[in-house]
Amino acid sequence: MKKKFWLFPLLVCILMLTGCGKSLSDQSVLKNVKQSNTITWGVKGDVKLFGLIDVRDGQQKGFDVDMAKAITKHILGPKGRAEFVTTTSQSRVPLLKNGNVDAVIATMTITPERKKVISFSNSYFDAGQSLLVPKSSKIKSIKDLAGKTVIGVVGSNSVDNVRKVAPKAKIIELQDYAQAMNALKSGQGDALTTDNGILFGLAVQNPSYEVRGGTFTVEPYGVAVNKGQTGFTKAVDKAVLEMQHSGEYNRLIKKWFGDVPGFNYKELYRR
Amino acid sequence: MSMIEFHDVQKYYGHFHALHDINLEIDEGETVVLIGPSGSGKSTLVRTVNGLESIQKGQLIVNGHDLSDPKTNLNILRSDVGMVFQHFNLYKNKDVLENIMLAPRIVSHIPEEENKKQAMELLEMVGLEKWAHNMPSQISGGQKQRVAIARTLAMKPKLILYDEPTSALDPEMIDDVLQVIKKVTSESGMTSLIVTHEMGFAKEVANRVIFMDQGQIVEDDDSSTFFKQPKTVRAQQFLSKIISH
Amino acid sequence: MINIFTKFSSQLLVGLGWTVLSSVIALFFSLIIGTVFAILEVLPNKVARVIGRAYVEILRNIPLLVITMFFYLVIPKYVIKIDGFTAGTIGLTLYTSAFIAETIRSGIQSVSGGQMEGARSTGMTYWQAMRYIILPQAFKIVIPPLGNQFVNLVKNSSVLAFVAGFDLMYQANSIASTTFDTINSYLVVGILYLIITMPLSYYMQHLEKKLA
Repeated sequence: MKKKFWLFPLLVCILMLTGCGKSLSDQSVLKNVKQSNTITWGVKGDVKLFGLIDVRDGQQKGFDVDMAKAITKHILGPKGRAEFVTTTSQSRVPLLKNGNVDAVIATMTITPERKKVISFSNSYFDAGQSLLVPKSSKIKSIKDLAGKTVIGVVGSNSVDNVRKVAPKAKIIELQDYAQAMNALKSGQGDALTTDNGILFGLAVQNPSYEVRGGTFTVEPYGVAVNKGQTGFTKAVDKAVLEMQHSGEYNRLIKKWFGDVPGFNYKELYRR
Repeated sequence: MSMIEFHDVQKYYGHFHALHDINLEIDEGETVVLIGPSGSGKSTLVRTVNGLESIQKGQLIVNGHDLSDPKTNLNILRSDVGMVFQHFNLYKNKDVLENIMLAPRIVSHIPEEENKKQAMELLEMVGLEKWAHNMPSQISGGQKQRVAIARTLAMKPKLILYDEPTSALDPEMIDDVLQVIKKVTSESGMTSLIVTHEMGFAKEVANRVIFMDQGQIVEDDDSSTFFKQPKTVRAQQFLSKIISH
Repeated sequence: MINIFTKFSSQLLVGLGWTVLSSVIALFFSLIIGTVFAILEVLPNKVARVIGRAYVEILRNIPLLVITMFFYLVIPKYVIKIDGFTAGTIGLTLYTSAFIAETIRSGIQSVSGGQMEGARSTGMTYWQAMRYIILPQAFKIVIPPLGNQFVNLVKNSSVLAFVAGFDLMYQANSIASTTFDTINSYLVVGILYLIITMPLSYYMQHLEKKLA
């Protein structure tokens, strides 16, 4: 055993060294994607209406995914290819920073904290945080959360928002929305919180649950790109603007949110 | 009064007929030696007496307990029937003294002081009082077997079964062990059933000899008659082979 | 890395506390349950052996996460409300107990049959022979593999993160997602796990030498 004691500090040193390496590539993403004629997007795989893997064909489907496809065409032309990598709230930033994906369009709210490590395009969708509860629940709004257990998802800013708005609520963070929903169903928490767009998707899948209390935050979703990729960011902004002008954007809103009960999709229209 | 009674006992291992129509009565106080070629069923027979092996047919009564009855409490029977094994089977996790004291403590609930006194006396009798606090792994085979005999005696049994007690020992150790067994059988008046290949010892110690072959009792006679004039050819052949060695 | 350690020290200490608590509880109960099922597996009674075997085979062949999710999601819905920490610790206990049962069973079986016969021939009951003669020898034999199981148990306690059990791994996820410094967040908790497991395996080696 004596012999092995020097191993421990050595191990710590190695770990520290690897932890200090640079992971961000300094090359221009815009140039790269034009060369390969492909943009690799990080999207959600478990969020209905935004990015959900269809078990029949294994493809991600949703508003984010369609936006990504359209933006790709606007940047690269009609023959440009969009590839998709499924990410979670936890993995999307590391994947972007490591260069595994060129951009992330995954229900990601533009926040000042995130802006410290990555860049965002202008908002492409305006969500707001809300609560999902069983229809029988007595919780009417965010004011009723004191002493209750609120379920959130690791890596999303919604948990921090609840801490600010309802400091007396107990918060548990789960790995993804499916697990969070399962935990809510099992009674592990009293309410599930995240952006209303996502919650509406969950309510569509689980009819005995409903979204309550309106939105208590403003959550503008942005396309995340690595810091310093100004050219790419501008290209994305330009693409989104073009889509708004042409009516393509509103068609996608109607396609995905037109059938959600209790959700006036026209509020989301942009001209 | 008889200590052991076999009535038409049959023992099978699957299809193998290990004990064949055993009829045998051993009285209290007898010292009986069981001999025969290897595989003849001697060990099996001895092991049925304290229920280490079950019997399939017939009746077996030991010290008044009917072993053919599944309701018989073997633990009570065994506290009166000691056994000395070929490979000693001392408890490897206990020292010599604890090996002797454990069963009297947890089976017979003898007061600790009395138990210890008795254990030390027994160790003295087998000549191993200096080894009381050694582990079994630290003593020789002959010493182990003497401890095993002391362990058996500590339960004050009415009957002791010896299953080839010297077969696993180096030749120079055998004598010490046989001396102890001789002392025990002559002094105590206990009933003894001994499986052995030591013919000299058998002659000296036994009142009665049982010769077994192929799962059957072939001869059952008093010691002097058996060794002078074995009745069956099989016994004659066996003796001539052993003695010519 | 030092930054993360100082900035989130209270959060990390909370995680360390829950990880240690869960591990200690699971270690204690999995040892007891494992021993019980190991004994069932070697009993002369066939029904007992089948029950013991079935328990071990089922639990050690299902992923820990599945067992844990069962206690987190299914049990609260139909039986009794238990929180993530409890569900995770129960899952960890049962899962580990199957491996411990297997380890102890092999230990019991490696104690020679003569030890049992020696004990039984003095009139001891089966249970007395187990308690005084067989199990003490079996435990001594299984200390090294048991040590492995204990270290595995501590590492496997990271399953708590998936059921919001507030353990080290849960805090790592949370810190990584707020700082976006994924590598260093996990490095820090990796080292904290080492701080638990290294002394544990050292202690088991020490115990092994002491009893040898």
